[in-house]
Amino acid sequence: MTPAIEVQHLTRRFGSFTAVDDVSFEVGTGEIFGYLGANGAGKSTTIRMLCGLLKPTGGGARVAGFDVDKEPERVKAGIGYMSQKFSLYLDLSVRANLEFFASAYGAYGRELETRIGEMVERMQLGAVQDEVTGALPGGLQQRVALASAVLHRPRIVFLDEPTAGVDPIQRRSFWELIRYLASRGTTVFVTTHYMDEAENCARIGIMVDGKLVALDTPAGLKRTHAPGRVLEVRGPRLAPALDSLRGMAGVLDVSRFGSGATVRVDPERLPAEALADWLRARGVDPLELEDSAPTLDDVFLALTARAQRGDD
Amino acid sequence: MASTRVNHRVGRILAMAGKEVLHIRRDIRTLYLALAMPVVMLVLFGFGISFDVDHLELAVVDQDRTDLSRELVRQVTASQEFVVVQDGTSPDEAVGALRKGTAMSVLLIKKGFAEDVKRGGAQVQLLVDGADGNSATQALAKAQALVEMAGRKLGGPVRVAAPPLEARVRTLFNPDARSAMFLVPGLAAYLLAIVAVLITALTVAREWERGSMEQLFATPVGRLEIVVGKLLPYLGIGLLQVLLVLTVGAWVFDVPVRGSLVALSLGSVLFLVGMLGQGLLISVVTRNQVVATQVATMTSVLPSMLLSGFIFPIENLPTPLKLISTLIPARYYVATLRGVLLRGNGLDVLWPQLVALALFAALMLVVATRRFQRRLD
Ligand SMILES: Nc1ncnc2c1ncn2[C@@H]1O[C@H](COP(=O)(O)OP(=O)(O)OP(=O)(O)O)[C@@H](O)[C@H]1O
Ligand SMILES: [Mg+2]
Repeated sequence: MTPAIEVQHLTRRFGSFTAVDDVSFEVGTGEIFGYLGANGAGKSTTIRMLCGLLKPTGGGARVAGFDVDKEPERVKAGIGYMSQKFSLYLDLSVRANLEFFASAYGAYGRELETRIGEMVERMQLGAVQDEVTGALPGGLQQRVALASAVLHRPRIVFLDEPTAGVDPIQRRSFWELIRYLASRGTTVFVTTHYMDEAENCARIGIMVDGKLVALDTPAGLKRTHAPGRVLEVRGPRLAPALDSLRGMAGVLDVSRFGSGATVRVDPERLPAEALADWLRARGVDPLELEDSAPTLDDVFLALTARAQRGDD
Repeated sequence: MASTRVNHRVGRILAMAGKEVLHIRRDIRTLYLALAMPVVMLVLFGFGISFDVDHLELAVVDQDRTDLSRELVRQVTASQEFVVVQDGTSPDEAVGALRKGTAMSVLLIKKGFAEDVKRGGAQVQLLVDGADGNSATQALAKAQALVEMAGRKLGGPVRVAAPPLEARVRTLFNPDARSAMFLVPGLAAYLLAIVAVLITALTVAREWERGSMEQLFATPVGRLEIVVGKLLPYLGIGLLQVLLVLTVGAWVFDVPVRGSLVALSLGSVLFLVGMLGQGLLISVVTRNQVVATQVATMTSVLPSMLLSGFIFPIENLPTPLKLISTLIPARYYVATLRGVLLRGNGLDVLWPQLVALALFAALMLVVATRRFQRRLD
């Protein structure tokens, strides 16, 4: 079976600046594929090329079986796209937005009515369908936007930061919808800044400065890029101790959060007890030390740190 | 198969148009303004200000009474811009007519005019009613041009003596609506230029600005469908405005529609399409509402008012502006409307204007659709 998305050496330059640099990957049918990266990493630029909106300057891609450069119109007919900046006409009602996008994709008459009816029910928009879209809270707007992007039952849907600025509860229900779409065979390509969300993806690609630096399942990424043991530490006089901790043998990564920090160590070279003793000796006493699992945050930090070191 | 494809196309155009109508309905005050503006402007301008420099009543005092002097009068009045209301009167009578308001200007040809022409330097005198400064200077400029042209035909230069402007008090009320005759065509062109260029540039630029253009480009809606669907409602509003202006013109100011309705409709549609195309081009290039407004005002709204013959007769413009005016479609539309409304012309006379309008429309549409790629780069 051919993959839903095939990307080969995809490159996009703006003048002398390379926004997407020689990126290659494949996404299987029905897969939820996450695309992570810091601001300006090239996520939206990749999506725009895959949707036939931006011409690649090098390499190429096939989406839904069509070449994005040579047959952008056929690509467009087979995909749904929720752009990062805009998804809806805020001065129109929810219903008017849905009707417009349904008919833009060629649905009319009874067909249009049933599709909208189904979608309103599925996305639980019945109560707000006559409201002006701009008056709805962000989470609901994003749900309407997702509904308009998938009304025409595309085989592949591209979601560019669909949950930006949405509260955690709404985000969770949004992801339920994404999983529902995938369960019906829709391929979902989604970008996000939220690492906890990314755990929902079957596979994740991580972009740093236009390059795809890692691509694997969440578990695989953690194994490769955040190996070892992650310890959460808390205590007084932590900050100066952490500074000298960086660069110590066996310490892989140190990152602060709130009042504490997570320290990723190679247990072979630095057992937890040794770390605890070392910290207490620096005056971090009483010390709280807790085992925790590596997260995608750790992966992300390790990868971006590595890229920065490479730049230096 | 082909017919379902056409159906889909029509369906998408209607979807675009329907959405645009919803936007207009959400902002209904703009629509009211667009429809009330022509009526208010027409009434204000029609009653208030006289732009008329055609059909100026001329009293002729011909003291020379030669073939040459009669020929001069014939030449000056041939274009109907001046009409003779009194002939063969004495200078005193003529000035009396000027005072009473039965004549707007007096042409005084002194004895010996014919001989002066043959000797190579004749002079005539012109008196103009200066109550309305604008009309007076325009009448003067026009008379000067006409007399000089006539002089060349007569075989010797004829100058107009620096004429003392005879001022007299006259109310600005314009009882016989002479201005409206010339105002209606100009106003129609001006209003259409505003609606078509400005509103198109704005609404299309808004889609760029808000990012909805990107979303539209990701759907199968073609660029021609976007353009046509988006512009249809405004074409409708534009035509409604033309009708309003013509109706008010006919009812309030007795502006007749004498000529060919085909030429009128064809001219209006061609002009509108050209203006819509221009608005589209502006928005495609600027992709920004503020810049689009400025560019639209500079390239279309102002020229349609100033260089179309609406406010300043084209003949009176300085040569560089006259040349620029040949690139302004409003000029040809105003000429078409004046031809149809006032002179009763048909396609046989007006076709050059219509061809010019069609050329402009085609050029705008081709350039705009070329620039308007369904891509973001
Ligand atoms: N049309 C363009 N012209 C010039 N530079 C551009 C253009 N579009 C994007 N860029 C640049 O390319 C880089 C990648 O942008 P892109 O929008 O793909 O990043 P992103 O990963 O989506 O970031 P964000 O998380 O902020 O959305 C940025 O530095 C951006 O400034
Ligand atoms: Mg982005």
